[in-house]
Amino acid sequence: MSAEAARFLLDGRRLPYEPGDTVAIAILRSGEHPRTGGTLCLAGDCGNCVAEVDGIAYVRTCQTPARPDLDVRRHPADGAPAWYDATPDPPEIEVRREEADLAVIGAGRSGTAAAAEAKRAGRQVTLLDAAQGAEVVAVYAGPTLIVRAPEGMLHIRASEIVVATGAAEIHPVCPGSGLAGLLTARAAQKAHAAGLNLGSAVSIGPAPEEVPCTALAGELVRFQGEGRVSAVVIRQDGEERTTSCDTVILNLGRSPRDILSRMADDLPVSVVGSAAEPFPLPPAPTEGIVCPCIGTGVDDLEGVWKRGFNELELVKRASLSGTGTCQGSACLPHVRAWIAARSGKIPEPFTARPASRQITLGEAGADVYLDAFRRTPLHDEHLAEGAQMDRFGGWWRPWNYGDHLAEYQAVREAVSLGDVSTLGKFVVAGADAVEFLQRLYPTDVSTIRVGRSRYALLLNERGHVIDDGMICREADDRFVLTFTTGGAGNAEMWMRDWMETWGLSVLLLDRTMSLAAINVTGPRAAELLGRVGLIDPPRFLQHVHSELAGMPVHVMRLSFTGEASFELHHPVDRSAELWRTLLAEGADLGIRPHGLQALFALRLEKGHVIIGMDTEMDTTPRRLGMDWAVNMEKADFIGREALARTAALPDRRRLVGLTMDGAAPTEGSPIASKGTVIGHVTSSFTSPTLGHAVMLGWLKRSPFPNEVEVDGRRASVAEPPFYDPEGLRARA
Amino acid sequence: MRAPEPLPALRVVAAPEALDELVVPDDHPTLRLAPDELLVIGSASVQVVGENLVVDEAGFVGWWLTPDEVREQVVPHVDWPLPTARPALAQGLVAGVPAKLWLAEDRALLLCAAAYAPELEERL
Repeated sequence: MSAEAARFLLDGRRLPYEPGDTVAIAILRSGEHPRTGGTLCLAGDCGNCVAEVDGIAYVRTCQTPARPDLDVRRHPADGAPAWYDATPDPPEIEVRREEADLAVIGAGRSGTAAAAEAKRAGRQVTLLDAAQGAEVVAVYAGPTLIVRAPEGMLHIRASEIVVATGAAEIHPVCPGSGLAGLLTARAAQKAHAAGLNLGSAVSIGPAPEEVPCTALAGELVRFQGEGRVSAVVIRQDGEERTTSCDTVILNLGRSPRDILSRMADDLPVSVVGSAAEPFPLPPAPTEGIVCPCIGTGVDDLEGVWKRGFNELELVKRASLSGTGTCQGSACLPHVRAWIAARSGKIPEPFTARPASRQITLGEAGADVYLDAFRRTPLHDEHLAEGAQMDRFGGWWRPWNYGDHLAEYQAVREAVSLGDVSTLGKFVVAGADAVEFLQRLYPTDVSTIRVGRSRYALLLNERGHVIDDGMICREADDRFVLTFTTGGAGNAEMWMRDWMETWGLSVLLLDRTMSLAAINVTGPRAAELLGRVGLIDPPRFLQHVHSELAGMPVHVMRLSFTGEASFELHHPVDRSAELWRTLLAEGADLGIRPHGLQALFALRLEKGHVIIGMDTEMDTTPRRLGMDWAVNMEKADFIGREALARTAALPDRRRLVGLTMDGAAPTEGSPIASKGTVIGHVTSSFTSPTLGHAVMLGWLKRSPFPNEVEVDGRRASVAEPPFYDPEGLRARA
Repeated sequence: MRAPEPLPALRVVAAPEALDELVVPDDHPTLRLAPDELLVIGSASVQVVGENLVVDEAGFVGWWLTPDEVREQVVPHVDWPLPTARPALAQGLVAGVPAKLWLAEDRALLLCAAAYAPELEERL
């Protein structure tokens, strides 16, 4: 290696290094410290040598081989390293997956022995060691090991894991522990072996072999110096003695390096060698910084203890000790000793959380996939119509087709198609189907006749609305239920939970992704359906099975838009065919598809709520003005008890309709009364039909006013529906 | 990954013990999706004892794969262990997409709801 090549950049200047140097050793060789100070272990245990390396912060420089092209920048003395803009084109981090019968972490004496013994027993063994490029950073259930390797991340599923990671050295806790010139015993040996001049060195505890130094007897009191240690104060026989020095070597004992095993509660993980040794704790600290990564001092521990955080896990959370770069390697023995001195009992080490090492977001997210969003069978049809697609409730859905007002008008004046394939669709059948649904819903399901349907709310035990949809009775013991797009998954879990709880004879079939659904809506909807074979369309809230355009279709007559509407539920593999046929047959009727933007406006004019958009987590039917959907005469249903108990209580919340002149305010706008905010708008639309803005919004202060201010303008509380209040158009 | 094939099937919901007793022709892969739910791939007819729901199912699509294709194209995208018995059904995320993997000695079927298929096809 040429003299010119043997340099790397440290804070923008070129620093020489020797072959075999780590970055930390090279920095020490130059007489500096990788940070501003603090005891160095040079073993990857502590956080006192971390720096930014090639743009990645918190890299342990003692584990980073020096090389000519490195760009090392020390972290600021106070605070965190600066954030950088994301790399425009970050390299993709590969993930390799392997399986192992036994994974041994640590290739030291005990790890090698454990691996050899297992191999002799005929087991397939994977031996991992950070020094050999395989740094285990996490143990998850499985058990699965997450390993950082030079070529990327390695995910190993192992039947059994052996942790043989050895022991870390105890760091000092006393005033002056943040100075430079402090090394653990093993770090001193490494530094000496690398040819570093330690100057006048003294050791606290036994002097490490082969390192020239003077061992001092006594109890460590403090370090002295400006930036770098110049003297150490020892107490012996009650007297303090100060010794001048250039380097202090700390040989204060060891603690098990067992962080990976502490991530693995209830997993087949065993610990061997020094990592399993019950080393004695250091003396309880009385002064100084306990956690050098966070800066937690003994006085901070005192403070949280006085506030009642009298248990290790709580002390950790309240003081943040053990939550920094080294995850407790430096501070945990001291915190345990400190608690033991106060409580008289040595606490078990705290649970460790992945990752044990600073990993990049790229490494953490490698091979992690984004949520998959479903596409309806009409996805390509929407794109062909120029739809602007967006994600709603786990699906890609058309927001509009370029002109949401034209789509709105098509529904109000002619006929339009909406893709409602995303609705939850379930079949419930069986001898106890009626009993099951009676308990599930607040409506009296027994009074729904075969061939009829009913809108229903779904409540939880607290009487809060969790979803809504239709109940269609197909036979005495068979029903089709629909739920909202975003709520279908939860609704299924809800039903299955209760099926199991009640032990009723009920069958449940999820058809959400098996059936597509097209909503044919508008004053000319029936006319269009007549052209494709629906000679005798069902009346409002009736449903029939029929054949349309040559395919089996379940036709449900209902209305969310306020116009006559027919939901056509049909097999997904024939949906595009039906869609095209309807568009072709309706061409002279002024047909055009509508997206969600128009649908939200249409239903708002009718005052129909959208669960999750207009409702909150604790919305009751009363707060929605939907007591009519609850039959309290029924003996029991989920939520009945809560509704009965709260019925007589005052309620200061109400979802109301609002109207105002001019353009609709933004959804979410505050609602004020006499200058005080009393609620917010959940839905809003400037209605071309009505000539003014319509809204739904929450009032959360009683008595409920009739006039409010929204967006600095006057708005009036008005009873929905705003459009066709008698519902004549929907029933036409 | 190539485009998936439609997978016409029969979906059967019944009491677990009734499904345990169900006789399905040998040439139809039978996937026990849940204790009370069965998916029979292909056009088949079944006689189920007791209360049941039997419907023609068009909501799944799939890829017939060789064992080598499973190893090369599917395994790198799952973080769960493949079952070792044959035939076997595994259900979970493949490349982050909910999917099912039916494994026989000489072939395998990777299937998912048609609604997820474009996403899975793109990711494999």
